[in-house]
Amino acid sequence: MNATCRCLNCIMPPHLLQKLLESKDKDIRQSAMNTLLITAQLRGERAVLASFAAAPSGNGRRTIFDCQNRTSLSSAVTVRSEQGAASSDESVNRAFDGFGTTRDFFKDVFDRNSIDDRGMRLDGYVHYDAGYNNAFWNGQKMVFGDGDGELFTDFTGSLDVIAHELTHGVTDFTAGLEYHNQSGALNESMSDVFGSLVKQWSLKQSPAQADWLIGAGIFTPGIDADALRSMKAPGRAYDNQLFGKDPQPDHMSKYVHLPDTPAGDNGGVHINSGIPNKAFYLAAMEIGAFAWEAAGHIWYESLKASGASTVFQEFADTTYLKAEQLYGTGSDEQQAVLGAWREVGIRISGVPRGAMRARMRGAPADGSGTRGEEDSLAALTKQLAALSAQVNALSKDVGALKGKR
Amino acid sequence: MKVTLATHGGQGAAIYLSLPPRVVDTRALPKAAAGALTGLVAAAKASPPVTEEAVGSARDAMSYTITIEDGAQPIVLQQSDTNMSDAFRALRDWIKKTAAK
Repeated sequence: MNATCRCLNCIMPPHLLQKLLESKDKDIRQSAMNTLLITAQLRGERAVLASFAAAPSGNGRRTIFDCQNRTSLSSAVTVRSEQGAASSDESVNRAFDGFGTTRDFFKDVFDRNSIDDRGMRLDGYVHYDAGYNNAFWNGQKMVFGDGDGELFTDFTGSLDVIAHELTHGVTDFTAGLEYHNQSGALNESMSDVFGSLVKQWSLKQSPAQADWLIGAGIFTPGIDADALRSMKAPGRAYDNQLFGKDPQPDHMSKYVHLPDTPAGDNGGVHINSGIPNKAFYLAAMEIGAFAWEAAGHIWYESLKASGASTVFQEFADTTYLKAEQLYGTGSDEQQAVLGAWREVGIRISGVPRGAMRARMRGAPADGSGTRGEEDSLAALTKQLAALSAQVNALSKDVGALKGKR
Repeated sequence: MKVTLATHGGQGAAIYLSLPPRVVDTRALPKAAAGALTGLVAAAKASPPVTEEAVGSARDAMSYTITIEDGAQPIVLQQSDTNMSDAFRALRDWIKKTAAK
C-alpha cells in the first residue's frame, strides 16, 4: 500500500484472495483459503440476521393454542390464528377477542405496537391443566385455566383479567418493575389499571359508569364475591365465610407487611396493589374525563419513566411530574393526582402542606390570584418565610412573658 | 405420614392467603390409598423442578408448597406452574382430590 491509500478499513477484495489461492507458497494459499471461508461464513450469518431484521413486524398477530387440559405448552395444538375463522370453542374466541381488544387499546390510546411496541406476537394457551384456577403471563405467552367449577369459572371470561396479564408484558418491556414488595405491588397495580382501562375503553364507559372491578364474573355463581379486587374500594371486593374478607388495603396506614416469599405473595404484591389502585381510581374520578385519557396517559408516561426498583413514593412523585409536563403546572389534572395520592396516604415530595390545603380551599397556593403557576420551590420558600415570621413573633411573646415575671 | 399442600400466588393470591392448606393423613386412609400416597411422595421427592418454561419471569403464576411429615424432620417441596415436575404435579393433584373428600 502507498502512503496515500485510504484503505485502512479496506476489505480484502475477493479477486485478490482468488489470486492468492494460486500462490506457489502453501502458507499463503492456506491463509487465503481460511480468509475466504470465514468471510463466506460471516456473509451467510449477516444474510440470515438481515432477513430477521427485515421481517415485517408481527403487529401483535394473535394465535390461540389448546393445551387440552395438559400443562405442556410445547405440545399444545393451534386452534385459531390471526386470519383464521372463529372456533366452535368459545374459550378460544374469548381469548382471541380479548387479545385483539387489548392490542387495539394500546395502539389507539398510546400508539403502542403490541406489548413490546415492536409488534410482538400475542400467543394464548387455553384449557391449561385440569380445573386450573388461574391465568398467568409466562414472560412471552398468556396461559388460561378453565377454573375448577367450584370456586372459579373459565378465566377467558374476563376482559380485564386478559388485559391485566398482557399488561405484565408491557411493564416488563418498560419499567421492568421487580415482582416483589412495593415495586411488585406497583407491577400488579399497573396491570389492574390498564386491565380496567381496556374494559372501560371497550365499553366507552366514564369513570363514574365503570365498575372498577378486576375479575368480576370469574367466580362461580355460588360464590358470594363481587370480584377478585376492587380498585374503587380495596378491601371490599368480597367478604364471605369461605375465604374471608378481601385483605387489600386502601391507605398506606394499612400497608400489609408480608414476607418476600411465595407463601407471602412475594411481599404482598397482590395485596398492597390496592393502594396505588385506589390512587388511580381517585385521580380518574377527580379529573372526570374518560379514565384512559388524562389519567391513563399520566400513568402510562409514569410507567415508562419508572425503573425496576421504583416504590410507591417515587411513582407518585413521577405521576405528579408527568401530570405537570402533560397538562401544566397547577392544572386540574396535576391537582387531581396530588389529591389522589394524599388520600391514600402518600404526600408528593417537595409539595408543601400549605399548597395542598390552599388548593383544596380553592385559593391559589401563592396567594397572588393566579392559578398557582409558580413552581413548588418558590411555594416552599414562601412557606418557610411565613413559618420564620411566626417563630419570631412567638419568640417575642415568650420574651415578653419572661420579662413580666 | 401427613402431607400438607399450600397454594400461593396467582390471580387469587389474596384468597389463597386466607384459605387453609389441604391436609391428608395416612392414618385416616385405607391401606391401598396410603400406599399410593407413599409412592407419590417418594417420586415427588426424587423429582426436582424442571427447566422453567417461562422466558424471563412469570407473573401471576401459582406456586405450591407440599410439606411431608413422616419422621423427625419435615420435608418441604416447593415448585411452581412454570417449573413443576410430573411427579410433583401428580402428588399435588392427589392431595387436592383426596383432601376434598
